[in-house]
Amino acid sequence: MALLEVRDLEVEFPLGRRTLQAIHGVSFDLDKGERLGIVGESGAGKSVAAFSILKLIAKPGRISAGQVIFDGDDLAGLSASEMRSVRGNRISMIFQDPMMTLNPVLSIGTQMVECLHAHRNISGAEAKRIAIDKLREVKIPSPEERFENYPHQLSGGMRQRAVIAIALLTDPAIIIADEPTTALDVTIQAEIMMLMLDLCRNHGVALMLITHDLAVVSQVTQRIVVMYAGRVVEQGPTQDIIADARHPYTRGLIKALPQQNQAGARLNQIRGSMPTLDAIPVGCTFSPRCDFADNLCFEDEPKLRDIDNHRVACHFAEKIVDQLKAGDADEQ
Amino acid sequence: MKKISLFLDSDFVFRFKRDRIAQISFLVFLTFVICAALAPLLSPFDPYDPMQIDIMDSETPPIWENEEEGSPFLLGTDAQGRDMLSAILYGTRISLMIGVFAVMLQAFLGVSIGLISGYMGGRVESFFMRLADIQLSFSTLMVAIIGLAIFQAAFGTELYNQVAIYMLILVIGIAEWPQYARTVRASVLAERRKEYVDAARVIGLPRKRIMFRHILPNTLSPILVISTVQVANAIISEASLSFLGLGMPVNRPSLGSLINSGFEFVFSGSWWITFIPAFVLIILIISINMLGDWLRDVLNPRLYKD
Repeated sequence: MALLEVRDLEVEFPLGRRTLQAIHGVSFDLDKGERLGIVGESGAGKSVAAFSILKLIAKPGRISAGQVIFDGDDLAGLSASEMRSVRGNRISMIFQDPMMTLNPVLSIGTQMVECLHAHRNISGAEAKRIAIDKLREVKIPSPEERFENYPHQLSGGMRQRAVIAIALLTDPAIIIADEPTTALDVTIQAEIMMLMLDLCRNHGVALMLITHDLAVVSQVTQRIVVMYAGRVVEQGPTQDIIADARHPYTRGLIKALPQQNQAGARLNQIRGSMPTLDAIPVGCTFSPRCDFADNLCFEDEPKLRDIDNHRVACHFAEKIVDQLKAGDADEQ
Repeated sequence: MKKISLFLDSDFVFRFKRDRIAQISFLVFLTFVICAALAPLLSPFDPYDPMQIDIMDSETPPIWENEEEGSPFLLGTDAQGRDMLSAILYGTRISLMIGVFAVMLQAFLGVSIGLISGYMGGRVESFFMRLADIQLSFSTLMVAIIGLAIFQAAFGTELYNQVAIYMLILVIGIAEWPQYARTVRASVLAERRKEYVDAARVIGLPRKRIMFRHILPNTLSPILVISTVQVANAIISEASLSFLGLGMPVNRPSLGSLINSGFEFVFSGSWWITFIPAFVLIILIISINMLGDWLRDVLNPRLYKD
């Protein structure tokens, strides 16, 4: 049994008389120690999915259907205080901007000790020892001094390391990282990603990496879930998805990456933009932007189905791939 | 020690060192505080001791106006023969005490209510904010006058005179909490959306801790600024109530009751009984307000000019 099972999750936001559905029947598993990437454009529902796992969706959003099963327990059935003992303890989360996630008026040490005290019944000195250990583990130099520092006294990369140290404090089973490197510059991004990869491997922590950066995902994760307009459109092992994507959207995302081996070639882009939640098209949600859309696509929404070792939600998954392969071959 | 040197190095101290007005008003305010604290040591007479008051000394002018040499009353005496200097020192003490404690009460009520309604939102917020609106539609003085008048009518002037200082603190404290509640709520609404609050919730911290340990310190600067203004306002409210005869009793005068006690003698030539305490009150209020203005400028980076 998987460590975390998300089953047919539906999240909706009542807005006046209407109800906007942000997540539409999303299912995925996360095994112990596994690294899963959740990929999609802004607004695809990645972050909402992550927050709904922790039952922290912003009001008035609510989980209207589906289950989140963590370690055999349905999180929906947990009380508020039981849920608090899961958050930050068994499941930690890392956010995008470390300047915003650290409280500016509390020292790094205070924030770390506070987290430990919330979950462990230990003395202040013991908490400080653990905190400094974790700071050392994320390779922060002179951790004793940094422990006393305030967030504004650290650099961006250092702050994100501190945030990772906080996430590791209670030795969680899962870390959810919501675009952890987006606010950092490129060289620091690589360092931080490698650090997270190492830490997850060494501690056997499962990682749920939410990002729109396919390059990062392909280096770090073992499996990928591609989301579009609140739905999972494709999922499978990372290598297979990168090398042999079946859904036109995934293919579009991959082709939009800059390739080093093609000098002077124009970058591909997916035309149009993702529909807003109040204007989700009938049929396949991707159909208005898809080059292969047929009448069937405009009328009937495709279900996820198994093709090879992927799961793809496209009526023409097999046909498209053959066509695309033929097209790519022509180009070269 | 480390904390002190950190404070001395701070921007706050740096700006204070460069602002002459802030230094002067701080000095004046500090003088008031010291005089008030040391009133029993500094004052030549004890204005609370009826044995030291001689009616024959009444309405002695201040020494610079006094033709008789060697008067022991530096600032003259009032209608009962009480030494004005001593009465003013003790009065400042009472006025400052009422100002500070009333503001502490206001801050306690207002900050808690503002924090809770800002963070919880929904019905709690609507309830407290409507309550604040209703209270703001009455003026502070009106609430205070009604409260104090009812108390005096119900329990008699005798008892009232004994507990006057606590009643004033209570009434002024309760009458002005909406100022704090609204300011704090507005800052909490802005802070609540920031990611560090999400992060604190994700860590699994209890709600109370997030409110008081994480959000409250981030809303401190507006609280500090209104606190200075509110101390000045509370002192003025107390003086107004005393002037109207609802404040401190004549035998334990505050600055306001001193001003009131001399008012009927202004036209008979004994101007000092009213004017000297009034002057002291004005200087006190101005120094607090100047400090408040300076604090507001320092704590608001958008106003930095240089």
